[in-house]
Amino acid sequence: MTETIKRIEVRSVSKNFKIRRGSRALLNLFFSGDRKPNILKALHDINLEVLGGEVLGIIGKNGSGKSTLLRIIGGLLQSDSGTAVASGKTLYLNGFSQGTDPLLTLRQNIFLVGSIMGLRRNEIRGKIDAIIDFAGLREFLDVEVFKLSSGMITRLDFSIRFHFMQHTNPNILLLDEVLSAAGDIEFQSKSTRMIENLLRGGAAVILVSHDLELIRKYSNRVIWLDKGMIKEQGKADEIISKYKNIHT
Amino acid sequence: MPKTRSLLSTLRLGFTLAEARFRIRNAGSYLGIFWYLLEPLVFFIIIILIQGNLGIKPIENYQAYVLLGLIMVNFFVNAMTGAIRSIRDNRYLVKSINLDLEALPLSVVIQFCFSHFFEFLLFIIFILYYHSFSWTIIFYPLIFIVFAIFMIGLAFIAASLGAFIEDFDNIWIVFSRVLWLATPIFYALTPGTFLYKINLFNPLYYLINIGRQIVIYDSFPGFTPILTTLVLSFATFGLGRGIFARSKKKFIEFL
Repeated sequence: MTETIKRIEVRSVSKNFKIRRGSRALLNLFFSGDRKPNILKALHDINLEVLGGEVLGIIGKNGSGKSTLLRIIGGLLQSDSGTAVASGKTLYLNGFSQGTDPLLTLRQNIFLVGSIMGLRRNEIRGKIDAIIDFAGLREFLDVEVFKLSSGMITRLDFSIRFHFMQHTNPNILLLDEVLSAAGDIEFQSKSTRMIENLLRGGAAVILVSHDLELIRKYSNRVIWLDKGMIKEQGKADEIISKYKNIHT
Repeated sequence: MPKTRSLLSTLRLGFTLAEARFRIRNAGSYLGIFWYLLEPLVFFIIIILIQGNLGIKPIENYQAYVLLGLIMVNFFVNAMTGAIRSIRDNRYLVKSINLDLEALPLSVVIQFCFSHFFEFLLFIIFILYYHSFSWTIIFYPLIFIVFAIFMIGLAFIAASLGAFIEDFDNIWIVFSRVLWLATPIFYALTPGTFLYKINLFNPLYYLINIGRQIVIYDSFPGFTPILTTLVLSFATFGLGRGIFARSKKKFIEFL
């Protein structure tokens, strides 16, 4: 269900990082002989557009600039040149377990992550039952997270973030290695349904992942980034095949 | 209107993060509040015990004078230490979601406002026991709000420096020890001395003096000290916000 509204527009974006040797300790900054940092070209002249309802997949090796590009679009990082415009409510997520604290209970973590994702306390309160039932952890609601097994924690993390993502109902979703069906077979099938609902909800989505099957399954188009530049772009099957031919 | 909404959401997140850290430090128990009180109590007992050996000239209501000075400086030092680490300690969060970064140093100040509340309760119990209760104590929250505004401004500056300079907290630890000794916590300043002149540039000196006058000595400070403190607090807040707003987009590159 692709709309004609242009939600993401990236024009000639470039980004370099200055890489210094040694730490950024105060004495190093003043007295280090290594004054000239190395320049890492993270992105060079990137152009792309994503419409509402469209899912754009981005693939590439580690260090190819995928996360840097998403962070620039999400407003976490500034580009050196060019413009990246995200028109609408934007949600950027990288990884899963950020924000949860093992020393807090499940309930307290739900409030903590919900607040980090910008929800009000009463909105969070209204989601607790759905989150905890989806994760199948009702009897552990007031137990500290470190007492759960790693599988339970994965289910909790997935459930918290997906319920809050759905509730936030963003126009733009920037997902960096976030989507993977978690837990046991029963939970995997539930979480796959949830992922599909989220991706087909009408938001403009950029998916970054090393899971090529996931990219193939959900993306309308794919961009292949290599050393900070767009190497190829086009239909998912075609680009993924080319990528596989080179990297396998 | 959007600015007000954004300020409210930053405050909300700041409170939630502060509450979470407060719970973690208290190990989920109300008895955990004892740990907040332990440090000022131990220092207080040591100072009272060695007072005779320090050659300090007599100060009226000395116990209350020391305890109030200790808890105010404790708030300042702890909030600064936490603020310096607030961005680096949350580096994974900063890199993984677009959140209001202002909430990180803000939450540290709020967390130590909670602990200051309990320390001040301890102080009230103390002066009820040793000293006649003064009605002017009701004005202390106003002084503390001004103190907290000053502290939030400094926390923004400290958080920015802590994000860019890896060992800034080590520098601060040394500086805070000097500040602790140079600020008149357990002694009074004699006008004209070197230490007195130095303290004229120490904002903590003004804030503690005003606090003591109101809470212990039943008197109100003059117009000039109040105006100076107000201007200083709001100017620090504005400066801190400006510095943080300019530097926050670069944090992620240094973490």
